[in-house]
Amino acid sequence: MTSHAAVVARGMGKSCVAGCEAIKVFEHQKHFIVKDHVVREGDIVTLNGSTGEVMLGEVPTIEPELTGEFGEFIGWADEFAKLKVRANADMGKDAIVARRFGAEGIGLCRTEHMFFAEERLPIVQKMILAEDEQKRAEALHKLLPLQKKDFIELFEEMRGHPVTIRTIDPPLHEFLPNLEDLMVEIAILRAKKESFEEIEAKGALFNRVKELHEFNPMLGQRGCRVGIMYPEITEMQVRAIFEAACAVAKTGKPVMPEIMIPLVGHVNEFRHQKEIVNRVAEEVMQERKIQVRYLVGTMIEIPRGALTAGEIALEADFFSFGTNDLTQMVFGFSRDDCGKFLNYYLDKGILAKDPYTSIDLPGVGQLMRMAVEKARAVKPNLKIGICGEHAGDPASIYFCHQLGLDYISCSPFRVPIARLAAAQAAVGKSEYTSM
Amino acid sequence: MVSRKKKRTTKTAGKKSAKKAKKKQTSKVKLAKVKKTKAPPKRKYVYFFGGGKAEGKGKMNELLGGKGAGLAEMTNAGVPVPPGFTITTEACSLFYKNNLQLPKAIDQEMFQYLAKMERITGAKFGDLKDPLLLSVRSGSKFSMPGMMDTVLNLGLNEETLKGLVGKTKDERFAYDSYRRLIQMFGSVVMGVDKEAFEKIITRRKERERIKLDAALSVEDLRNIIAKFKELIKRKTGEYFPGDPREQLRMARDAVFKSWNNPRAISYRRMHRIPGDLGTAVNIQAMVFGNMGESSATGVGFTRNPSTGAKEFYGEYLTNAQGEDVVSGVRTPKHISELEKEMPKVYRRLKRIAEKLEKHYRDLQDYEFTIQQDKLYMLQTRTGKRTAHAAVRIAVEMAKERLLPRKEAITRVEPEQLNQLLHRMIDPSASVEVVAKGLAASPGAASGMVVSRPMMPFATLKTARPSFWSGRRPIPTISRESTSLRESSPPGGE
Repeated sequence: MTSHAAVVARGMGKSCVAGCEAIKVFEHQKHFIVKDHVVREGDIVTLNGSTGEVMLGEVPTIEPELTGEFGEFIGWADEFAKLKVRANADMGKDAIVARRFGAEGIGLCRTEHMFFAEERLPIVQKMILAEDEQKRAEALHKLLPLQKKDFIELFEEMRGHPVTIRTIDPPLHEFLPNLEDLMVEIAILRAKKESFEEIEAKGALFNRVKELHEFNPMLGQRGCRVGIMYPEITEMQVRAIFEAACAVAKTGKPVMPEIMIPLVGHVNEFRHQKEIVNRVAEEVMQERKIQVRYLVGTMIEIPRGALTAGEIALEADFFSFGTNDLTQMVFGFSRDDCGKFLNYYLDKGILAKDPYTSIDLPGVGQLMRMAVEKARAVKPNLKIGICGEHAGDPASIYFCHQLGLDYISCSPFRVPIARLAAAQAAVGKSEYTSM
Repeated sequence: MVSRKKKRTTKTAGKKSAKKAKKKQTSKVKLAKVKKTKAPPKRKYVYFFGGGKAEGKGKMNELLGGKGAGLAEMTNAGVPVPPGFTITTEACSLFYKNNLQLPKAIDQEMFQYLAKMERITGAKFGDLKDPLLLSVRSGSKFSMPGMMDTVLNLGLNEETLKGLVGKTKDERFAYDSYRRLIQMFGSVVMGVDKEAFEKIITRRKERERIKLDAALSVEDLRNIIAKFKELIKRKTGEYFPGDPREQLRMARDAVFKSWNNPRAISYRRMHRIPGDLGTAVNIQAMVFGNMGESSATGVGFTRNPSTGAKEFYGEYLTNAQGEDVVSGVRTPKHISELEKEMPKVYRRLKRIAEKLEKHYRDLQDYEFTIQQDKLYMLQTRTGKRTAHAAVRIAVEMAKERLLPRKEAITRVEPEQLNQLLHRMIDPSASVEVVAKGLAASPGAASGMVVSRPMMPFATLKTARPSFWSGRRPIPTISRESTSLRESSPPGGE
């Protein structure tokens, strides 16, 4: 099951049943029919995403038992595993789940996910649409305390385990309304003869969105390129991280922030962002009169980044493979568009496995191996991890173990699976060696 | 010889070349030795098991198939297994290379082993007084349940049938066994449609106004047997073979052929099992669980496969054959009943189950038959289990020192844990499943049906009964597939 709905649901730990052919949906009537039952909007149904079963009404459910035999079993696994397992967590509540499942840190916190929250999005949009630096600074100033609050939650929940925070990654237009929607809205405002100012404001928004429009957003202004073009965004984020870290450290609790720069393809991109991180971190720590240990590292997710890993390793404190993007760029097919042919490829055996589910060893894997070798040649103790969907896939975990990575970071609900897979890789369970 | 030769070369040649020569010599000698042990003059294609000893081993599952290797291993471990022999997967390859015919030499080898079986059992294949009956079953390296063919009760014909009646003093049993043979042989070996046989039985039952096969009288069975034979002649132009040896050859070849039936091919494709492995054929003395109230047949697990609890777990049917347990016509009894009905056999079975688990160091799923108070084990294999059971069994086996921890942690598939990490349906709740889709993301949850995302919950009426049903004409427009997205009930999350 690699449909987007399934992937998203699994990532969120929500149960999901898909492709249920026995259910006939009548969207306009707002009901569906299954067997002789008509189920209307507002009715309660129960889903069992483990079996695919659908039941009518509310069926009692029970909490999973994570202690007892399960706890003992997974504890044994940890005795053998060499890879540490962290979780991808953007918010405090993810971090709680991650800890409950035994994550030893956060391997990826996507700060932009904090921007999508309902009450924050308008501020983010103001920041993006600002005509001058002054106005942008004002908006960023409003975002700062919100981000800081999130980071405090993460640091506190992780109790001194490393928390890897990635600076802004997606292209800016992702935060803005859709171009077509705006066009429709403007037409409606005009037809309704709404006030000139209102139409004008929408028009300005429309123009800015059009300006930011890209033909190839995945290869456009995203990742560290955003932070380089708008250094004040990186500055705000780093300030929020360190204000949070200092605040937690002041209460006597340990913190271990790791700042991660996304989408680095050239060492100079990394140097540029690292300079900002170090400068702002120093500033904040001096203001708060407390020193916090931290690391600055980068994602390895662009082929050029992997190829020049030796150069980048000299500058970076750690690497984290972003294998989703790396796979996308090594294969040269965008994840959002490959649905049209990938299933056909898998059906016809052109590809044996979905490379987004399990690392493609001859291609992407080779590049990863090269990057690890080049980096460790200049910095033998460089901390290297992986974050993304692959980090929860047992076959890929086996490969990461063989590569000698330090940690894997997957979605919170896959942490126990990854812990067991890491242990099995360490004791040499041979099932995956034939790949 | 070798040392003398060595001396001579040292004398005639320089030191360096002498060394070389020595090397050559020894390597030649080694090669010859290897040849001797690895390739005996006559290659062995049949492996015997029975009488407490087997020629094969549990590790030889590539050559003997899973079933054959298991039977050999059990026999060597002193478990009561009906005697028999396994024709190897190598013979299967030769069968295919040789234009779907088994080389004569292997055929002869098979009959030599049959003679050995006759010595052990005291019965004779095709004998008019005490006929030995055989089962012929497939078994490849990887388990392919139900994909290949089986023929039971081989060796019966109009004459040996009388022998069986005399031996068992049970006419109905004998005729029913013969009926089953012709039915299986006719469909599996001679390719007559299964349904045609069933139709004949159904017609007879309707005529006699009876419901169950078990109620068929000897007279009914005689009539059915005659009809079966006519059916085979009509459909294939050939007679059902009366010669037991001919039956055996044909059944064996049919099992080899079944490796390449469409079902087996598509199963292998689905499970990525290589097509060139081939199947072994197991030929074994029949034992009967349907020879009266002191006979039974059943299946068991060494631990509870759904909870993992260490308990004697299984079910059985008295006076029944294997297919009766599977078909679900009669409700099997819990294994604990056996303690009351046949206490001695029960204790023996329990000991054997414990022995099997210790021997294989894993949960075993086994089949047994009791023929007139005598217990036989017919199969054992690693048991499938739920995620919950997998964890519990791994932990408890490690604590029992059956497994080191290092091995215990490999006994659960990482992906299996997924079932344990999410909220699940309360096992004590009664549920009615109305539809089944793809299990896209694990966990169980209740929620409200909405027609669009982000619908404000306040706008939905919640006071209504949670669902209602009624017969309605179903509109003709329908989507081929649809997905149900989870939503949270108001106040949830």
